[in-house]
Amino acid sequence: MGKKVLIKVKNLKRYYNSGNIIVKAIDGLNFEVEEGEFIAVIGPSGSGKTTMLRILGLIDSPTKGEYFSQGLNVANLPENERTYYRLTELGYIFQDYALINEMSALENVYMLSLMEGNSKKEAIETALDALKKVGLEGKENRVPNELSGGEKQRVAIARAISKTPHILFADEPCANLDTKTSEQVLDVLKNLNQKYGQTIIMVTHEEWHLKYASRIIELKDGLIKSDRKTRG
Amino acid sequence: MLNDIKVGLLAATSSIKRGNKKTLIFVIFVLALIFVNLVFLPSMIKGVSGTMTTMLQDYNYGDIVIEPSGDNQFINDADGVLEKVRAVSGVKSATKRLDVAASIQYNQKTVGATTTGLIPSEEMEVSRYPYIINEGDFLGELSKNEIILGAMIAGTGFGSEIYDNLGEVKPGALVDVIYSNGIKKTYKVKGIMEGTFELVDLNALVNYKEIESVYGLNKSKATSIVIRIENPGKEDEIKSKIIEVGVKEKVSTWKEKSDALIRQAMESIDTIDIISKYISLIVGAALILIIVYINVLNRRKEIGILKAVGISKLSIVISYAFISMFYVSMGIIVGLILYFLLIIYFTYNPVSFYQNLKIIPEIQVNLIFNSIISMMVMSLIAGILPAWRVSKESILNAIWGN
Repeated sequence: MGKKVLIKVKNLKRYYNSGNIIVKAIDGLNFEVEEGEFIAVIGPSGSGKTTMLRILGLIDSPTKGEYFSQGLNVANLPENERTYYRLTELGYIFQDYALINEMSALENVYMLSLMEGNSKKEAIETALDALKKVGLEGKENRVPNELSGGEKQRVAIARAISKTPHILFADEPCANLDTKTSEQVLDVLKNLNQKYGQTIIMVTHEEWHLKYASRIIELKDGLIKSDRKTRG
Repeated sequence: MLNDIKVGLLAATSSIKRGNKKTLIFVIFVLALIFVNLVFLPSMIKGVSGTMTTMLQDYNYGDIVIEPSGDNQFINDADGVLEKVRAVSGVKSATKRLDVAASIQYNQKTVGATTTGLIPSEEMEVSRYPYIINEGDFLGELSKNEIILGAMIAGTGFGSEIYDNLGEVKPGALVDVIYSNGIKKTYKVKGIMEGTFELVDLNALVNYKEIESVYGLNKSKATSIVIRIENPGKEDEIKSKIIEVGVKEKVSTWKEKSDALIRQAMESIDTIDIISKYISLIVGAALILIIVYINVLNRRKEIGILKAVGISKLSIVISYAFISMFYVSMGIIVGLILYFLLIIYFTYNPVSFYQNLKIIPEIQVNLIFNSIISMMVMSLIAGILPAWRVSKESILNAIWGN
């Protein structure tokens, strides 16, 4: 029996108007994502990687096509339902960490749990657990300015996984990090995938990151050029 | 909703706790000044009206005044009324007066003045007239052909340059008084009174018997009976008692009289006060709006991030409402401290009005309360509007500007 399909994308398109020109950022994507996969999305600049990830993360909407997440067509959900779905089902890691600078690492993480309706005590426990998973024990009360780039990205990962999302999206999570720190961050992601079965879709442009993935989707001109499984 | 409030509060407290402290102090200080502006000017205006009211009480009306009823020119049996009034418990003293119109001449200069006939010994207990003689002496019980002139008509006091005056009349000088019935009498100036108040310093005083004799009045006529009570504040109660003992004339408390008299003047000042209040409120609202709007614009990306990770629009708006209310609450607290410091300062260093009239600001609890409510409501609107606007933007636009 096959693994559970978490994402199913049918003929997904995203066009932009740039003056009088229509830019076809993605132009008909079809693929499925199974539970527990660690997918690396690669491709040259302008191939549609980030656009695709934003649509899958419900940060942007497709121009056409269908997007099923856990069997639910989420492509055109109303704004408040998209927000709730992002909160409860999806995790998103941004290239530039996207932390709230005036909140401590702990507050950045437990805010989401509070939003889900947990008590402050439960939210803090969940956040501490998530920070522990990414190796930030003892740094919970530091604000982003007191953390290194790698630590910031780990806080962002902790924030994304604190609500145990079905899928974790990572948009070039190591773009601003040096090689050593990048390895640490990717190890965290790999560990989450292998130890906790976390499904991850990561956009990257670094060849050496691919060794962490179990599947590689290559995009070109808004279309899938190749889709292959690796050793992981 | 509760979750939205909890998250909004968390975002707001973090922002306040770890935000730029210099900006925070500046904003609170400016809001404090706006609050002081809202409450201090009206307190001074209230002080002006309070001082003017006290003057009317000290000279013209006492605590309670009885005047002729209907179209009558005089209270006909003033002594009978006085007898009834003095028998009322709580009445400290009372006297009758006769006010008439007259022209006063000296060295070919003529001025018009209300001339009051009064009983000098009784005035000691009723008014401050006997205590404001700055040159010469007050009238005596047997004074005949003697007059007290107000400093403004005598031309010796503050304000003389504004009004027609007799040109520096000194005690001992002889002046002619032409009464409204045409009778002319010569008086020796016994004293000059100065109350630094037009209603006193533009008047003249003579013995009650002078007016009685000039106008041929008998049976104890009066144009007013002025009453002082033992316990100030019980004017309404004593007024009722006076009516109960059968006084049929028009009885008014000092408050009723002064309200009517200075209402017109105060209405003009109140108009200025209201305009100033609204301008302050508008400036305050604009300032809060600008502060929060700049704050929100600087945090567009953060708002986008909050939305992207699943924080509701309502939480975001609530967080800015909290921040805005915090700014204003702190501004009000600092403003109240500044306000009370100013009140203390001006209580010990009153503002001079005319020459030696002192204006002390009066605290108005209702006004303070209304100003607090206005500023809080204003802060909510000013905080919510820009946050609501930015939180409606798409995430892509807020974070990446596309």
